Amino acid sequence: MSATEKNISGTVLRIQRMSTEDGPGIRSTIFFKGCPLSCVWCHNPESISPKVQVHWEKTRCIGCGSCIEACPKGALAMAQSGIIIDRLSCDSCAACVQACPSTAMDIYGEDSKPDDLAREVMKDEVYFRKSGGGVTLSGGEPTMQPLFAKELLSAFQQNGLHTALDTCGQCSWETLEALLPHTDMVMYDFKEIDPDKHKNLTGISNTKILENLIGLGRFMKERGLPDKLWIRTPLIPDCTATEQNIKGIGVFIKEHLGEIVGRWELCTFNNLCTHKYESLGIDWAFKKTGLISHEEAGSLASLAQGSGVDARIVHLSGPMRNADSTESRGEGPHKSVSNGDVSECRCEGVYA
Amino acid sequence: MNASAASKTVQKIKEPKNLSARITWLRNYYFQGANRAWNNEFSAWSTGTPSDVQFDEMTFYIVPETYPFLQPFRISMQQSAKPVKLHPDFWSWNLPERKAWFVKEVMVKYVPQEILPGDLIAGGRFNLQTSMCWNKKEAKERDRLIYGKKGVRAQMKWFHDHGYGNSGATSGHLIPGYERALKIGWKGIYKDLEERYNALSSKDKKGKRGAQLRAMMTASTMPGELAGKYANLCEKLAAEEKNAIRRDEFTQMAKNLHRVPWEPAQTFWEAVQALWLTHMLVMSDENYPGPGVSFGRIDQYLLPYWQYSLKNGMDREFGKEILKCFWIHANTVYDAMIRIGNQGITSGYGQLITLAGMGPGGRDMTNDLTYAMLEVIDEMSPLLEPKPNVRLHRGSPEALLDKVVDMISVSQGAPFLLNFDERSMAGMMHEARKAGVTHLINENNVHDYAPVGCLENTMQGNDRSGTVDNNLNLLKAVELALNNGKDFHLFVDPITGKSEKIKQDGPRTGDAATFTTWEQFWKSYAEQTRFTIKRCAELYEQSESIRVRFCPTPYLSCLVKGCAEKGLDITEGGAELSFTTLEAIAFATTVDSLLAVKHLVFDKKECNMAELIEALKANWKGYEKLQAKARFKAPKYGRDDNEADAMAKAVMDMWCGETWKHRTVSTNRQFRPGMLSWNYWVGDGFILPASPDGRPKGRFLSNAICPSNGADINGPTANANSVGKVLGGKDTEGRGDLLGYYNCLPNGASHTITINPSLLHNPEHRDKFKAFLQGYTENGGSALQINMLDADMLRDAQKRPEDYRSLLVRITGYNAYFTSIGRELQDEVIARISHGSL
Repeated sequence: MSATEKNISGTVLRIQRMSTEDGPGIRSTIFFKGCPLSCVWCHNPESISPKVQVHWEKTRCIGCGSCIEACPKGALAMAQSGIIIDRLSCDSCAACVQACPSTAMDIYGEDSKPDDLAREVMKDEVYFRKSGGGVTLSGGEPTMQPLFAKELLSAFQQNGLHTALDTCGQCSWETLEALLPHTDMVMYDFKEIDPDKHKNLTGISNTKILENLIGLGRFMKERGLPDKLWIRTPLIPDCTATEQNIKGIGVFIKEHLGEIVGRWELCTFNNLCTHKYESLGIDWAFKKTGLISHEEAGSLASLAQGSGVDARIVHLSGPMRNADSTESRGEGPHKSVSNGDVSECRCEGVYA
Repeated sequence: MNASAASKTVQKIKEPKNLSARITWLRNYYFQGANRAWNNEFSAWSTGTPSDVQFDEMTFYIVPETYPFLQPFRISMQQSAKPVKLHPDFWSWNLPERKAWFVKEVMVKYVPQEILPGDLIAGGRFNLQTSMCWNKKEAKERDRLIYGKKGVRAQMKWFHDHGYGNSGATSGHLIPGYERALKIGWKGIYKDLEERYNALSSKDKKGKRGAQLRAMMTASTMPGELAGKYANLCEKLAAEEKNAIRRDEFTQMAKNLHRVPWEPAQTFWEAVQALWLTHMLVMSDENYPGPGVSFGRIDQYLLPYWQYSLKNGMDREFGKEILKCFWIHANTVYDAMIRIGNQGITSGYGQLITLAGMGPGGRDMTNDLTYAMLEVIDEMSPLLEPKPNVRLHRGSPEALLDKVVDMISVSQGAPFLLNFDERSMAGMMHEARKAGVTHLINENNVHDYAPVGCLENTMQGNDRSGTVDNNLNLLKAVELALNNGKDFHLFVDPITGKSEKIKQDGPRTGDAATFTTWEQFWKSYAEQTRFTIKRCAELYEQSESIRVRFCPTPYLSCLVKGCAEKGLDITEGGAELSFTTLEAIAFATTVDSLLAVKHLVFDKKECNMAELIEALKANWKGYEKLQAKARFKAPKYGRDDNEADAMAKAVMDMWCGETWKHRTVSTNRQFRPGMLSWNYWVGDGFILPASPDGRPKGRFLSNAICPSNGADINGPTANANSVGKVLGGKDTEGRGDLLGYYNCLPNGASHTITINPSLLHNPEHRDKFKAFLQGYTENGGSALQINMLDADMLRDAQKRPEDYRSLLVRITGYNAYFTSIGRELQDEVIARISHGSL
């Protein structure tokens, strides 16, 4: 390990231990901060910006005003609704986080060293071993911090852990390729087949993403490593949850990835992250969007199964609205999907 | 296709299944409770003397909820007691002989024998409050020791009122030598006693030892004679019975009862019959229904009979039918106070059975009977008794783990407790070395340990370790250390309204406000801990020294190795292994309080000691910022944070070390450490003042070895790792107490985790959970209780999110911490759980 690599660090949201949803077995998932996409439905808006961000959690605030006193920029104020952060003045110096006695002022993102993360992750080594689990890099987007990601993956590999990379694929091929020798498995987000629509929904066309996916398939065939690939598609009402899209993705998988894909997971939309948008002072277009119905999701799943892929690889997860439910608000939790989303609901007390 | 399965885990209330008409009837009848025509409620029996006493309050000293009722209990039992015609020589006998004769007389001649419709096992009524058989002088002396100004009752009350905990010489909580009783029959036990008696010198025969052995000989004839009565009843019922099948059952039952438990058991039916009668009479003898009188490794010692009968044509389902009758009988303990709320059913009595686990050389002992019993539990549950503990270890078979996880996944609370062999056995080996009893517990037999009561590990048939007798609140010493050996607050008796002056109860360890280093405070805390432990041991000695003189249990003594050999009653410390256990309460609250003192006062200098003390005295009122820092910013045990866990280990080592220094004077029983903490963590939270961890007075303390409520924010694996670490962790070189494991708590420690049923919703996730249990075997503690979360718990989590920060839920597609998701989503989740559609 060279001196520069040794000093490498990255911005991480958190480690989630005993995750049962980020690949095989019991896993520790490291959520990276920063994502090249900005999906309109993103379930984890705090993971989009690569910078650390201050936020305020109402339920933990005791209203003492320590944060306001501590802020050197005068960026904080107490309003009827609680603490208001002036995002233009705030430079995330975290003085308020230090001063807050109850961890209501908190920070998304922490500068982390591979060694420290490795030490933390290795604490659950025995559970990984018993379950066939390991560690998953997720985010945010791990490939946005490529050296850091590589450092982590190779450190885990050296420790004998199974490594998984959860990516949106929006990066240079060289970046992805450099990580693959240290990766046992890839979870790849495939949100939208249509390049223009993809651009509208995520801010970027899917050209690179699909190119990299094909490259990944080739790499896996040639090298036999990573040996597992799961595709994840979010079912976002009026966006990605269309017959055309599901069919299109299915055909793509069949044509380009053949036998390689072990699982194709369709993940339904929810709006549980509304409070996160609020805590970041962002108005979210999907806050009133409801859950997808069982029928609709089911028919999309059937469509996926009939699209030419091996039907057994199709999985459907996430909350769905019952037909008889008058409730149409999207409150159900689910597996988040896009890169922006995968950091999911994190235990916010972790910074306490 | 997996497409829709993912979103439909149904959580329903567990229901019994696969029950025959017979068992369905018996089970339904049982739950009719006080409306039943038949029940097993206490009956009281007197020698007829005016001073006669039935109720022994000392055995309830560890149940603070009963304190206001001690006197009414005593009087009501006295008033309802029916006189027994005494043997002409009765008053010339020694106390154990009187007791043995009296209990036998009542059980065989006074208490009626009945058999419920369809029942395959005889042995109905056994809940007794018999005369303590004291003569006038004894009764007077004993009353003086209990009720005098310095008497044990006043001492016990003081100890509890001031938040130290509780202590009392308590019944039960052991595994009698049932295996031997089945093997050699009571005939064999009698013969052994007789030989020992005949071998005594004539002087010894006349003395105490002779009297004890004579008492035990009398007691050992009780099961056989009672069985004879039941045999006669069965013959009578057979003669009257019109249904041929039932008539044959009665005839066979009569045959069984003519043989066992006096003769060695041969068939499975005989063995279960013998086991039940032998067991129920322990509860008669102790006048206490089933408090931890446990069966031990029942799937091991009943196995030869099971195999013999299967080989000789017993239908496996009929074998299970016999067991199911046994299960019903075990639940009739709760009839003792059947007219009291909830039909007298409490969770307080743990007649444990132990299933599976390691054998010699690390071999796994899971067998067909293990699975048959798990099936019985599965088919009968929900039903409280007997309470099963399943022993797991590194070599547990996949099939067992699968069955365990399947059963957990469909129940509310897991229908059993899990015991982890390597860690538990390491604790027993530690105990053996500490107490110098390696000839009794060693590598060759430690696998035959088994838990009693809830999870308290002991050996079988030769061990009484007083596993619930001393419950010490570790947090008390923090208050005393902060206040130079005095209580923070004046004690006001909630009933009389009388207040006591604040006295110098503990040692003067100095004005904490003048301490300039953490080490000074730690020293002071350690000294106060020494004081509280000493005080607990002294209190215990008071009740122990009374029990040793006035409360023999000669029948139970027949079933415990060491008693006959030494000619001592079990209450005199006759058992080969005779420990008493100091169970620590509020471990995590204590550790977190110390971490907070260190963090706030010394490390971060958020306040000075005087301010902290003022804040605690004010119950944090006016100090909310400091309280928030204590709660949210100070480190906590249970997060797999090595620094915080090191403090936890230091606390553990310190109080354990002190505990090992004590022995009872009257019975020479060695104190050993454990962490059971029953439900004291709830009640004691209202007694102890605010604590430095940010807890206000009136809030629960931490439970047993669990992290404080809501502190374990890093999830179940981190929680388990912390628990394993404070017990001593593992030795990388493979040394340790046993197999590379350490365990400083031979008694074991209660550990509970709560999970969402959806974490077990499909085979893939059940496999992950199974792996978690296998990981727990390596890294975790000695015993684990798994609770499934329910809607009420989630509602509570909404109200008090800070207590539930670790509540990991797998809500359909992913894991999240319940409290970290939005309110609306939480409501949705609750609605889904309530409607069984999650």
